[in-house]
Amino acid sequence: MGLIQEISEYLQKGRAKNVKALVQQALDENLDPKEILNDGLLSAMMIVGTKFKNNEVFVPEVLVAARAMNAGLSVLEPKLVEVGNEPVGKAVIGTVQGDLHDIGKNLVVMMLKGAGFEIYDLGVDVDPAVYIDKAEEVGADIICMSALLTTTMPKMQDCIENLKERGLRDKYIVMIGGAPVNDSFCEQVGADYYTPDAATCAEVAKKVVLEKRAAG
Amino acid sequence: MNSKERFLATVERKPVDRPAAWLGMPDIYAQPALFEHYGVKNMHELKLAVGDDFYAIEVPYESPDASAIYAAFDWYMDGNVDAEERTLTADGCFKDAEEIEDLDFFEWPDPAKYIDVEECKRRIGAAPKDKVRLGMMWSAHFQDTCASFGMETALMNMIANPEIYEAVDEKIIDFYLKANEIFYEAAKGELDAVLIGNDMGSQRGLMLSPEMVRRFIIPGCKKLVEQAHSYGLKVIYHSCGSIADIIPDLIGVGVDVVHPIQALAAGMEPKGLKERFGDKVSFCGGVDTQDLLVNGTPEDVKAKVRELRTIFPTGLIISPSHEAIMPDVPPANIKALFDEAQKVY
Repeated sequence: MGLIQEISEYLQKGRAKNVKALVQQALDENLDPKEILNDGLLSAMMIVGTKFKNNEVFVPEVLVAARAMNAGLSVLEPKLVEVGNEPVGKAVIGTVQGDLHDIGKNLVVMMLKGAGFEIYDLGVDVDPAVYIDKAEEVGADIICMSALLTTTMPKMQDCIENLKERGLRDKYIVMIGGAPVNDSFCEQVGADYYTPDAATCAEVAKKVVLEKRAAG
Repeated sequence: MNSKERFLATVERKPVDRPAAWLGMPDIYAQPALFEHYGVKNMHELKLAVGDDFYAIEVPYESPDASAIYAAFDWYMDGNVDAEERTLTADGCFKDAEEIEDLDFFEWPDPAKYIDVEECKRRIGAAPKDKVRLGMMWSAHFQDTCASFGMETALMNMIANPEIYEAVDEKIIDFYLKANEIFYEAAKGELDAVLIGNDMGSQRGLMLSPEMVRRFIIPGCKKLVEQAHSYGLKVIYHSCGSIADIIPDLIGVGVDVVHPIQALAAGMEPKGLKERFGDKVSFCGGVDTQDLLVNGTPEDVKAKVRELRTIFPTGLIISPSHEAIMPDVPPANIKALFDEAQKVY
């Protein structure tokens, strides 16, 4: 088995120490950092995401895989900076104002990282304007909002209205999710995409960012 | 039939005059509108005014750290277990624990010190005898174990260090078995059912694999159910979300009623649950709180209750699909739920 394949296998099993050591070994052997990233770490995380979407693995397996990915990234990132690796895109994410539920949002963060995004996680109870301020500050492509409660879902619409008022609606792709959120709510509040799970969110995010970029 | 007879018939899936119905536990911010709608002053009056078949009783618990048994453990070591600003995945005090000795610093509360037996008796005695007197035990050992490490660390420990997860879980189960015994002894003969539970489901599936649920949650569930049964109590077991895949396990440890039917979660359609499990266990819930009760009209709610009554001629307690009714639910929809549930066809 090649080293890259080995990294992928250990990541899928959530073996952080092995992944970290193997990434270091790969760098020592002068493998291309981008290949280690894309074919070793990120593709493995995408495999875990697909299994999660299909209920073949569950939250604990995703968490240990993400921990292993982060362990590998901690070794790899300085090299990626050196070779000028660009992220797929930038995403600002948080749980909406009044809502403290964050396990779903955290899973989306892990999956987006696994899809190659640079993430700005605003945490929970995020004021609608703060998403936009952060997106403007970092030059984000996507704003992601999560809510578990029916009473906090309307905050998603507040953020979208705020974007319109500031003349920024078309600048950002707005993605929403959370237990009570669905396609009709997405349409009603004028968000761009609702995705039912973290892996699908990452897939859609990557696709639409690349499409938007290609369209110029 | 009175409420109690109706409940017991529902549990045994025998004919009922009309389904039993449970209001649940309205969120504190939802209560004022409900009080106004029904012209009552407090929760006691509300329960009677809606015609609830149940009367929920909370376990009295007063410690230096907590005033509710579900918040008994000071995992954050800051004397503030109810902090509203804390996220559900916040790190607990066992975050860095790797060996069993690393748990030794924690002072486990003794329920005997903080549960007032006389207050238990007073609360139980205040419940109307013709209602189903329901002890809200929760005993959520899985959720507490998650909080003790921080949820993500706890779930990772299930894979990477299961022994330490189980060591904490065992301590928590022991706490609840002792606490429940105090309450059950105080209540002897005056309590009909208890609600026990752990949130294991998300909207789209279980949070843990069925195998992990069987290893880490079901054994504790079994102990708690057996203890309640030894006092002659019926057990309503709660888990939010999509839990269809482990309902056979809940049935296997003797759960009498599965709560809630979270109607919009994957695999939790009432018709499917009735077909798969309707001859082995009863259910509670089914009236969706994620869309219908919030956005629907009273007529929509009545239509849903009629549909549920058709699917479940017995074996279902009609109730919102989550016990904590939120302030965005119009009180007229709650009234519609009870009006339709209480009709004798």
